[in-house]
Amino acid sequence: METVLQQVINGLSLGSVYALIAVGYSLVYSILLFSNFAHGGFLVIGGYICYFILRSIGGGIWIASLAALMGAGFCAVLTEKLAYKPIRERTNVTLYLLIASMGMSIVIENIFVIIAGGRFRALPPVIPTQPVSLFGIATTSMFDILSLVTAVVFLSGLQIFLTRTKWGLAIRAAAYDLRVAGLMGVNVNRLISIVFFTAGLLAAVGGIFLSVRYTLYPQLGLITIKAFIAAVIGGLGSLPGAVVGSLILGLAEMLTAGFISSQMRDLVVFLLLVITLLIRPTGLFGKDVKEKV
Amino acid sequence: MTPILEVSGVNKFFGGVHAVVDMDFVLEKGMLAGLIGPNGAGKTTVFNLITGIYPLETGHITFKGEDISSLKSYEVIGRGIARTFQNLRLFQRSSALENVMTACQQHHHYSFLEAVTHLGRWKKTETDIRLRSMELLDRVGLADRADQAAGTLPYGYQRRLEIARALALEPELLLLDEPAAGMNPEEVLELNELIKEIHSDFKLTILVIEHHMELVMEICPHVICMNFGAKIAEGNPETIQNHPEVLRAYLGEEVPEA
Amino acid sequence: MFGGYTEGIIILLCINSIAAMGVSLLTGFTGIFTLGHAGYMALGAYVSSLLIMKAGMPWLAGIFLGGTGAMLVAWLVGIPTLKLMGDYYAIASIGLGEAIRLILENWQSVTRGARGVPGIPPYTTLPVALAFFLVMAFAMFCLINSRYGRAFKACRDDYLAASLLGFNTAKLRVLSLAISGFYCGVAGALLAGFLSFIQPIMFDMIKSTELTSVVVFGGLGSMSGTLIGTGIITLVTELFRPISQYRMLIYGAVIVIIMIFRPEGIMGQKELGKTFFRDLTRRLKPADKRHGGGVKR
Repeated sequence: METVLQQVINGLSLGSVYALIAVGYSLVYSILLFSNFAHGGFLVIGGYICYFILRSIGGGIWIASLAALMGAGFCAVLTEKLAYKPIRERTNVTLYLLIASMGMSIVIENIFVIIAGGRFRALPPVIPTQPVSLFGIATTSMFDILSLVTAVVFLSGLQIFLTRTKWGLAIRAAAYDLRVAGLMGVNVNRLISIVFFTAGLLAAVGGIFLSVRYTLYPQLGLITIKAFIAAVIGGLGSLPGAVVGSLILGLAEMLTAGFISSQMRDLVVFLLLVITLLIRPTGLFGKDVKEKV
Repeated sequence: MTPILEVSGVNKFFGGVHAVVDMDFVLEKGMLAGLIGPNGAGKTTVFNLITGIYPLETGHITFKGEDISSLKSYEVIGRGIARTFQNLRLFQRSSALENVMTACQQHHHYSFLEAVTHLGRWKKTETDIRLRSMELLDRVGLADRADQAAGTLPYGYQRRLEIARALALEPELLLLDEPAAGMNPEEVLELNELIKEIHSDFKLTILVIEHHMELVMEICPHVICMNFGAKIAEGNPETIQNHPEVLRAYLGEEVPEA
Repeated sequence: MFGGYTEGIIILLCINSIAAMGVSLLTGFTGIFTLGHAGYMALGAYVSSLLIMKAGMPWLAGIFLGGTGAMLVAWLVGIPTLKLMGDYYAIASIGLGEAIRLILENWQSVTRGARGVPGIPPYTTLPVALAFFLVMAFAMFCLINSRYGRAFKACRDDYLAASLLGFNTAKLRVLSLAISGFYCGVAGALLAGFLSFIQPIMFDMIKSTELTSVVVFGGLGSMSGTLIGTGIITLVTELFRPISQYRMLIYGAVIVIIMIFRPEGIMGQKELGKTFFRDLTRRLKPADKRHGGGVKR
């Protein structure tokens, strides 16, 4: 019983980090209708900025993470302006955006291979990881609790941004129809920049926690596949779906690792994806798009 | 006369919208019938139900005595029904000829092995498909446009190309969804002629959706009128034109275009 | 005839082309975007090398069974998953490809897991690779110029219109995946015989991405474009080997630049052939175009 509870908490913690990444990815999907494979790159950028500030400049975790969040946000905007904007202005074939994003993901990954080298780097112990006893019924780590809390804070922040602000409203309108939102006088380019900034920022939060959990290396971005899968399980373009999908995925991974075998966890994730899609081809919360004939 | 298509007691809901209400009608073999009604009356939905795009909620659709209600689209087409689309669905980047050939090949077979080796029946069959497709393009007046990409053809030609492509399926029942949409009056006259010609030359049964009442009245001896998903009148053009429900549907909703 | 190095590059070109043709059929001609086809290469590689080494099968039979094994898995996996459309299938295909790799990695007793299989007999010589490439390229070009080619393209261009022209689109999509699985499986089997050593990590998502980007680079819907694209990418990759650090960076940047300036790829949807050269000469002489392409009313 104890271990079950422990694994559930660990699963929720991992799932909440996935959620931070999946929500940004899904947000971009809801506006531009393509899978941004460079999303993992934003996470890596965040991780490395945080690492460099902590190591070389010696700033505190607050300064380092603020810089990481802003830096990743700006890089996301830059990626959009450099790679996606010229494409989306020329054509409405989302496939081209998807392939360009694959290219950008390779570019970002290898920029870090060149400037930072391929080795694994451990972040200085800025996030406490000591074990914590939960009312005496289970033990978990401070790190798991902190990542869960941080994720909740950021996701609530996103929720407030999307429901209470002018730009949030515009983003939700654009998720229904970007073109119409443009016709209604929304500055589409600025809106897309804001969306990418938000997505990059959230990815960086996830990136910092993931680099503490697994150490930092240029290919860390590949872990976003899990977040993509979570977003797809939840239904592409649906933010609540992305969160629910991420939590399911985190739980499935941790429970598999705890009770079956650690090697099986990725396999279980992929199986979960395939099974969900077979039962609900557009994910749990996905819009069932019927083509108009 | 033998019935070729029987639609009986068909209902369709989209969420809370009752899109087709207790639809009943029968098409006799060789008929040239019109399906009219104001915008949003559910005409295209009836076509979609016949061609298996949506499942029926209740009722039956029978084609040549066989219940086709639960068949998939490609199975319905295989039974001898073909259709065109209100908002054209040509293969835009393929040539006009290739569009027709894609449909035409359904009646000209060769095996997978012959396809990957280009041996056996491949050569003769491909020649047959090409010749037959050219004939059909010629029939709708597009022979000199055979190599042009379908998407670059003028709008009226694209509509004709869709008809040629449907004819290539060698159907017994042809469903035309607003074939005159977006055409100028001159083109509409030509189209009417074309529809009448293919009706008699190919010994087809045709059901044509039209939005403009006058056009249907001119070419269709039999007319079905729908409003709000339900059939409100059926009969020859005179009966329809003087039917109070039809007048109300049209004059109450919108003024018919002159 | 050639030096060992040149020979190696030609063999690699043949292998890469076979795999790329498989992906091209699926992605370029049937419109199904895949990011997991390295998995089918892995299956081909493992099935053939294990059959040859453990069951003592002749290598030719091993290659065929490797291809067939990949085809069977593709077919079985395709029936349920190809109901998914667009990005949903793309993401699912990552899952499928990775699942194949993870199974190979974890099935230690048969596959030796992550350590890989060493000592595979080097059956992929230059004549073997060339023969396989020529036969499979011939069959592929025949296929796309047949009723099947038109049917696949119909599914790609308008799924709904295709089914209303009487095509069983679900079946066609699975058929396309099975054929592409066969091509990738054979390519994997040949790769195993070329390198004499295989490891699950060789067939990861990066390899899958590479397969798909080569096809995009050549032009979606052009088989000759796929071959040209494979040729260029394979040679450029070799050229950049001395500065391998920057190789992947340049590779990624090239993909982005192509998408910005020429998203239809090198060849667009055109094939090298009579019409291509006719169009080319026509384009070089603008005066002719005005005559030939004039609008008749």
